[in-house]
Amino acid sequence: MPRKFKEMSLGQRIFRIAAGFEIAVVCLCLLFLLTFFGTIEQRWFGLWTTIHKYFDYNSIFVLPERGDGKVIFFPLPGAYWVIVVLSINMFLGGIVRARKGWRKAGVLVSHFAILFMLVAGAVSSVYKEEGNMRVLQGEKSDYAQKLFKHDIEVFAFDEEGNREKPAIIRSEIIKALGKERKLEASFEKFDFKLKIDRYLPYSELALDSPTTQRPNNEEVVDGFLLVEVDKDTKTEERNMPGCYVSIKDENDDLIQRLVLWAGNPYPVTFTHEGKRYGVTYLMEIWPMPFEVELHKTFGENHPGTEIPSWFQSNIVKVDGPDRADYEIVMNEPARHGGYTLYQAGFTRAAEGETPSSTFAVVNNPSDKWPEYALWASAAGLLFHFMAMLVRFIGGSAKKGRSQAPVPNKPSIYRKS
Amino acid sequence: MRIVLIVTAAILLTGCRKPASSIHVTETRRLTLHDKVYPGDYKDAPPIGWRRLPGTQFRLINYVAGENDTVEIVVGETQGELLANANRWLGQFGLSPVQSLEFLGRTEMLGKNAYLVEGDGTYSPGMGRPPKKGYAMTGVIRESSSNLITLKMIGPAEEVKKQRDAFFEYMRSFEAIYDHKIKSSNGEVKIETGEGAE
Repeated sequence: MPRKFKEMSLGQRIFRIAAGFEIAVVCLCLLFLLTFFGTIEQRWFGLWTTIHKYFDYNSIFVLPERGDGKVIFFPLPGAYWVIVVLSINMFLGGIVRARKGWRKAGVLVSHFAILFMLVAGAVSSVYKEEGNMRVLQGEKSDYAQKLFKHDIEVFAFDEEGNREKPAIIRSEIIKALGKERKLEASFEKFDFKLKIDRYLPYSELALDSPTTQRPNNEEVVDGFLLVEVDKDTKTEERNMPGCYVSIKDENDDLIQRLVLWAGNPYPVTFTHEGKRYGVTYLMEIWPMPFEVELHKTFGENHPGTEIPSWFQSNIVKVDGPDRADYEIVMNEPARHGGYTLYQAGFTRAAEGETPSSTFAVVNNPSDKWPEYALWASAAGLLFHFMAMLVRFIGGSAKKGRSQAPVPNKPSIYRKS
Repeated sequence: MRIVLIVTAAILLTGCRKPASSIHVTETRRLTLHDKVYPGDYKDAPPIGWRRLPGTQFRLINYVAGENDTVEIVVGETQGELLANANRWLGQFGLSPVQSLEFLGRTEMLGKNAYLVEGDGTYSPGMGRPPKKGYAMTGVIRESSSNLITLKMIGPAEEVKKQRDAFFEYMRSFEAIYDHKIKSSNGEVKIETGEGAE
């Protein structure tokens, strides 16, 4: 007989609330609302922006918005934290508080599996890495690029004009500057400093000419200037940051003033003490531990659209001396060494051009966990229902035997 | 209760720390094929004194050189007749067009015939920019089955003269790069299309 709530101690009350169905119901309702508003909002603001707004662990509270920029005053907690609360509730209610014993083993396994799936989501949210690898047919690649992170790389050229290993200033550090702050970076491998003194998160690089508009009286460097633009809310990867930097020597004397823009695919250079150096501002380079050779890419678009109805890439994965063939099609990725390659797009070739495939590369330590969780949950429920069925049949048989008509005595049935 | 408040405040204040204003960069990464990507798959080796600027729609490779960076060296790809392009360049200096390619000097770039276009005088850069007196140009246009490859140096006549040898040395430095192409079993590079096939 469960004790009444008023009779419980404070600790028991807290446990009762934390493990209660009420919290689970509230969490599930909140997740429904978050998914509902997020699905509607992504139509205007794009998938990446909306997912990060609703599901990122930095989002404590969320205010849904409409396409015209108006806020719907319906504050909701961030989905990440709702899931954390739901996980705690499920652990306390579904495992700690639940009745134990062989009869409940299947249910316990199922609860544990669902909890494991939620943990997999958290691990993925924190540790998953993803990037895009674009390969032309007949070519190969050994790197992906992270579309939403832009690093500054500084490197020297050797005497043959080849690049040496770059030093990297990570995007998180640059983004944290905002438009007003400055940053001075010194390098372990170079004897000069790089000073960022104006950072524009959304910009275009313009050529200065007598007709060029110069908003904010922006500085012109080598005939180029950065023009601040509005954020592209729908396609995040189109947003290109830019910055003005000074390269200074140890005495703080200016070596070179440079303008860097993330849309420029090649480095700008300067010379210091008889050696040439390059600086790039680019989507983070993510080196892969293998090469991908694209031997064939083909596909079709839905009639009259640029939306692919299907596509396929025939690749060879080269890992040292090992070569392996893969066929990547929609929803059938290639997996190797913890990396998963999904085909994210393909480009048909115009005349005289080469077709290409774009692969979404994902490295997720919890990649297969949801699948394991589903199998475990299914096994748990199957065990539970089978046990119930066996008990039911056994119980019915027993009941049937106990209610079977006694010889020489009229049965109830007969009596009626 | 007081302890809880103090701990909460401490956590919140820790989260509000100012971003760094100076850092020491130690992080590096291994080289990838990205580090061997060149415009048009041609690797170049410029002289030490030349400085590369961002490219533009018409300037695949864009250098400045000379005193106060007054000399521009530009590599581009263009379409159309080789002669028409040569005459357009001459026209920027107010020079008379040539009637045929025979009137142009000959050289070689990336294993193909190329033509020299040179001139001096008042340079009209266009795009609303004022004319510049006392300028000179040394340019090369390379024959091709598809697009023409152009290499042009423009600047004050004296500076262009000083850079002339470096310019031709630079022209000879171009090298087709096939590192990112798939090699077939016999070791040959598979080429689908483009200039790299030549």
